[in-house]
Amino acid sequence: MSTLSIKRISATASPAPGIRSTPEYAKLVDISSCIGCKGCEVACKEWNDLKVEPTANFGSYQSHKDLSAHTWLLMRFDEVEMSGRVQWLIKKDACLHCEDPGCLSACPAPGAIVQYENGIVDINHEHCIGCQFCVTGCPFDIPRFDKETKKVYKCNMCVDRVEAGLEPACVKTCPTHAISWGSKEDMLSLAEHKVDLLKDRGFENPVTYNPAGVGGTHMMYVVPHGNHLADYRLPANPTASPLPLTGLGVLKRIGAYLLGVGVLSSLVHYLTIGPQAAEDLHPHDH
Amino acid sequence: MTTEPAALIHRFNAAQRLIHWAVGISFTVLFLTGLAFSYPSLFWLTNLLGGGPTARALHPWVGLVFSISMAATFSMWMREMSLDATDWHWLRAIRAYAQHQTADVPPAGKYNGGQKLFFWAQTVLGVVLLISGLALWFPNTVANVVPTASTLLASMRLVHYAATLAGGLLLTMHVYLGLFAFPGTARGMIDGKVTRAWATMHHSAWEPATDATRVPKDDDRR
Repeated sequence: MSTLSIKRISATASPAPGIRSTPEYAKLVDISSCIGCKGCEVACKEWNDLKVEPTANFGSYQSHKDLSAHTWLLMRFDEVEMSGRVQWLIKKDACLHCEDPGCLSACPAPGAIVQYENGIVDINHEHCIGCQFCVTGCPFDIPRFDKETKKVYKCNMCVDRVEAGLEPACVKTCPTHAISWGSKEDMLSLAEHKVDLLKDRGFENPVTYNPAGVGGTHMMYVVPHGNHLADYRLPANPTASPLPLTGLGVLKRIGAYLLGVGVLSSLVHYLTIGPQAAEDLHPHDH
Repeated sequence: MTTEPAALIHRFNAAQRLIHWAVGISFTVLFLTGLAFSYPSLFWLTNLLGGGPTARALHPWVGLVFSISMAATFSMWMREMSLDATDWHWLRAIRAYAQHQTADVPPAGKYNGGQKLFFWAQTVLGVVLLISGLALWFPNTVANVVPTASTLLASMRLVHYAATLAGGLLLTMHVYLGLFAFPGTARGMIDGKVTRAWATMHHSAWEPATDATRVPKDDDRR
């Protein structure tokens, strides 16, 4: 996507170049409408030409144990007990495209991670240095490092399709319309509507998952059992700026001054007190 | 007298000089690439090691060279670096030393209290940098072992930066004192020799400095 659309850019002191005003998009995943067909998983692999990874039966419907550099979308199947009944939780696991992306703010490589005006957070692999700080910075444990290319990969919301006015491949393929696509505003009101429907059906705690700690996300969920977020592997209070990284930011500013002061005070010492060679002293002066 | 060859005293042997420069060069490379990874405006410093990805790939290996050199430094110097009462006396007069008020500075042995503290500070920082650096080098291994790996790894970034900053400030001081403030010091790390006048001024309690009739011998090279 064009640099004209870049809203945020990693490790860059100057402002991001984006001047386009494009609508902010969002994906809404209604977990209650998902039948676990994994069509989105396949569509993601197909559109993005991602290698098919061999797998084995490990006692779950799940295709792979985890996301990988070649699997940007994974349907997670978890069996958990809720109020005495077994619930089969099926969740689409992929990048949430945070408004305040922890990966982007953790990234030390200029331009390696960008956020577009439309909300998509993307990795520019030609600028990625493979440090994996984004992996640590992501509160949702999404980016994955590839040992061969030494770069990090994740869902890019089919940025090439979206740029051409199409919906992401997973949205296109979903047979139950569990994944919706549209403006962030529309998706928020659709989510509210779906939450109300679930309440009518007798669900006690349905919620829209659009966490404020990361400024909201561009992939939101309608979660039927909103009081069991951990069972869906969704952090209740994700943050883009964990305490150690906030501390690091402050210390870096202080450090820059200290290093400058260190060099300058050496110079001041040299110019005022000056150097002293032993040969300049009289032999019996000490 | 100072122009006579006999006025030169052996201060550092070849092994000490080589290991000192292994530490010095590897730390400088690590410090500069570390600055590049910490400050976007200094990212161009990664070009010293061939650009961003290459610098990121080489940084931990240079770190390994640094750690091994530091271990060698530690084993070579640790016995000579323990602080005693004289060193604390010397440290109390550090302001006079910096202002060249030589008469107010108590005599120092082969190493003064400042050099000894510098040695111990760099040793501790070296260990901290190695541990935090290993965690950042193998984040996946850490994630497989520790449940809250992202908080731990973010903390390791903080620790790695703080230790680098402290080491960098100490390096600035070390380079300034050795290269600029006291001419004649750096020679000890080039051909291993210092003048008798230098030794008398800085380390008057060091045995080769006290004995004016003594000719340099091989065991001064320790």
